[in-house]
Amino acid sequence: MNWQDVLTAMLPEHVLLLGMLLLLGLEIYTGRERGGFLLAVATLVVAGLAALWLTCTGYAGAPFLGHYSINAAGALSKVVLLAFALPVLLVSRDDFEEGRYYVLLLASLYGACLLVSSDSFATLFLGLEIMSLPVYVLVLLGFLRPESTEAALKYLVLGGTATATLLMGVSLLYGWGASLDLTLFGSALGSADTLAAAGAALIIAALFLKAAIVPLHAWAPDAYEGASVPVTAYMATVIKAGVLLAALRLFSTAALSGPMAALLAALPLVSMAWGNIAAIRQTSFRRMIAYSSIAHAGYLFYAFLGAGEGRYEAIVFYLVAYGLMNLLAFAALPRGADDTTHDHLDAFKGLYQRKPFAAVMIAVAMLSLAGLPPLPGFVAKFLVFRNVVAAGYTMYAVLGLVASYLGIYFYLRVIQYMFMGATDPAAAHGRERRFAFVASMLCLVPAVLLAVFPGWFLNLL
Amino acid sequence: MADATVLNLLLWLPVLGMLAIARTPRGADGLVRGISLGLMLLQFALGAWLYARFDPSQPGLQFATDLPWIREWGIGYRIGLDGYNVLLVTLTTFLGPLVVAGAFAAIQKDVKLFYAMVFFIQFAMLGTFVAQDLFLFYVFWEAMLIPMFLIIGIWGGARRIYATLKFVLYTAFGSILMLAAVIYLVYSLKTTSGVTTFAFADLYRNQLPLGAQSWLFAAFALSFAIKVPMVPLHTWLPDAHVEAPTAGSVILAGVLLKMGTYGFMKLGFPLFPDAARAFTPAIMTLAVVSIVYGACLALVQTDIKKIIAYSSISHLGYVMLGLASLDLLGIQGAIVQMVSHGLVAGGLFTMVGMIYERCHTRDLAAYGGLAKLLPVYSVFFAILTLASIGLPTTSGFTGEFMALMGAFNAAWPLHEAGYSLPLWLAVIAVTGVVLGALYMLWFAQRFLFGKEKAPHQPLVDLDAREKLILLAFVASIFWLGLFPQGPLSRTELAAREFRELTLASHVVDEGTP
Repeated sequence: MNWQDVLTAMLPEHVLLLGMLLLLGLEIYTGRERGGFLLAVATLVVAGLAALWLTCTGYAGAPFLGHYSINAAGALSKVVLLAFALPVLLVSRDDFEEGRYYVLLLASLYGACLLVSSDSFATLFLGLEIMSLPVYVLVLLGFLRPESTEAALKYLVLGGTATATLLMGVSLLYGWGASLDLTLFGSALGSADTLAAAGAALIIAALFLKAAIVPLHAWAPDAYEGASVPVTAYMATVIKAGVLLAALRLFSTAALSGPMAALLAALPLVSMAWGNIAAIRQTSFRRMIAYSSIAHAGYLFYAFLGAGEGRYEAIVFYLVAYGLMNLLAFAALPRGADDTTHDHLDAFKGLYQRKPFAAVMIAVAMLSLAGLPPLPGFVAKFLVFRNVVAAGYTMYAVLGLVASYLGIYFYLRVIQYMFMGATDPAAAHGRERRFAFVASMLCLVPAVLLAVFPGWFLNLL
Repeated sequence: MADATVLNLLLWLPVLGMLAIARTPRGADGLVRGISLGLMLLQFALGAWLYARFDPSQPGLQFATDLPWIREWGIGYRIGLDGYNVLLVTLTTFLGPLVVAGAFAAIQKDVKLFYAMVFFIQFAMLGTFVAQDLFLFYVFWEAMLIPMFLIIGIWGGARRIYATLKFVLYTAFGSILMLAAVIYLVYSLKTTSGVTTFAFADLYRNQLPLGAQSWLFAAFALSFAIKVPMVPLHTWLPDAHVEAPTAGSVILAGVLLKMGTYGFMKLGFPLFPDAARAFTPAIMTLAVVSIVYGACLALVQTDIKKIIAYSSISHLGYVMLGLASLDLLGIQGAIVQMVSHGLVAGGLFTMVGMIYERCHTRDLAAYGGLAKLLPVYSVFFAILTLASIGLPTTSGFTGEFMALMGAFNAAWPLHEAGYSLPLWLAVIAVTGVVLGALYMLWFAQRFLFGKEKAPHQPLVDLDAREKLILLAFVASIFWLGLFPQGPLSRTELAAREFRELTLASHVVDEGTP
């Protein structure tokens, strides 16, 4: 470990840290509570460019041997995470002016970056916690309505449970293998030892909790509904991507068999089915998206069934397609459609007449999330199920596709409300957020490229 | 190479149309209509050029493009014309300008979005026909849902939301199982031959055992049968047709329903021939049930749109009968019947739309004696009615007659071999012709003759735009009826190929799983 390595390998993290310190320092020095938006955006862009630079140069290094390493693929994960955060940040300005919001968001991103570079359980734990802790506050920071408090508390308690479960699993694995290395998880998956199996199962349970897989999903609808729009978008995309990328690091290319495979087939399948069925009954847009994210977490974990190269491809592609489309929906969402009292799907009625751009963007996002071609969501779904079939789980693939069919209706219902309904007089006539157009384009353009040239992106992986 | 460019241009012209419409200012409805009609006419010109240049004596693909799209998975941008799709592509481009011009008066709400969606569905339909790659085919196939969902849902009648959701949920269910079958098919091919490919030409050479073939065929067939639609999977069709705006009905009847039969012809049968032959008696039975049951239902309807909707089910039954007969005449008859039905049903739905614009009701009981009230309209309507019945010299006769001949040709040797299912089936299918004449003539009699009545009188007869549209329909119907040689020669090689592929056996070692 020398300091150049530490400096280069962790460049995105350093930039984020610097940005946070500057934001805090500025606030203390000038005494102004507001502002910080531009500085935060600049920090994020620079950090993203740093990660991109690491990807393009193919830099590989391990500044903290056995704890933290980076290669081109790892740097690409960071590019994805930081790029997801950019639209979130851009549309935050109308909801948050306080500097602390931006500091917390950058802190959470720091954790996410750390997470996807972790080599040991210690770094993994650190990254996961740094990523999650600011979000507990961010949920509360929104509208300060009664539901927000409840949501934040639920999220905090269940997040704490996930942490405890993870630590328990890690300590069991440590007892079994006397190491904190992440590769221990892979060997524990195939081990017949009870201790190892229990440890691995607990870690999987913690991941399921964080990613909201049935039956550990109940926090998600409340947290998504309680938080303000940018924070919900952040949770649905960056946090979910962080958890899945961490899972990808844990599972690596280990093959699954026996009860572990059953665990990773059955619960995600239930998740897809239940997420999609429960979403049909929701009257709040963000609760609906929460259930949709529960279903999508199911698809993502399904991809773990197949081992090898296909797993990585499928998960990263899915995360990008899913993240971009979720962000597109949230970025285009006009204020008012989601106000304190109006987070109601009825507010979408006749949106096309009032805000054609927002309506078309949300429609594209919904169709993609439903997995209809020619949108990127279809290619992502195809990749996941291709992986499942290739691994020999044909029956599970068929069941999973049928479960995904259940989801089509509620996505279409949003479009039905926007395009086919008369404007509800009670609907709030809110304005689009500032920078909504830029943020939408930041999501739409890569998504179109992804749909038209999926092969190009897969070659990067 | 230059020829391939024309086909590509034809396929991507609707995308150009969508982009052009998106750039028009708000409220410039006339401009949008002009752009749409102009591009659709240009597209038809390209389609006619391709039809004329299509070489009937050359087997295989013409005007083909084959570019890698996702190389690692063996997915390519493979498109081309062959005897299977050349008529359907021409039909689609022919109906395009008629649909656009037919909607000039009827669509006044969200005009921009409407024509953009018409272009979208045109793109998806043409893409489905010309695709020679299973992935590409599936993308276009499934993409058709989106514009149709909006066309029915936004510009449809009173129960449009119910109808459009029913349409989407029915068809999406079939497609989702087809997707599973597609993935499985490609992977089983990879394990046997080591090559990952989605090209039709390669997939035809799969060597699946009968068990797997049956499952895959069932998945494909379910998806296609919903689209055709075959009884008992037809219940979405009347709702979708009745609630859709005229343009939607014309697209639906004219082209969309052919997707199912085209799918059977291009994919279902040739990909899984052993399973397809095993399923043939069931398919023929369902086809005959569709013919007779559809006709019976059409007989008792009081909604004029529903009569034509149910007649579609009956007419597409002939297509399925002709295909499943695996007789050269029957197969060619099926292809001609597809085109004929597209023209006749398209024309009839256009005419229903015209009367609805004037009288705002589809209740048959509200009309009578239109021959006196709307003489020009009635002449066109009578011609289309006769074409629907299958009067000689119209296209309906060529298709139905050949499909039935095919069924009988297939039945005789089997009959002599003591395998008697198809013969009495073919006999029952013929009664469908009689029933068809019954419901259409009875409909025309109540509609055109008798005591003169119609809501919202006085009625204005057809204007020049409407006359031109109907003239195009009628001319094409007579052309196909009087000079079927051109279309038939173009489909002959494809029909032979279809027959060979379906009669081939893919099962390598009989008995071992």
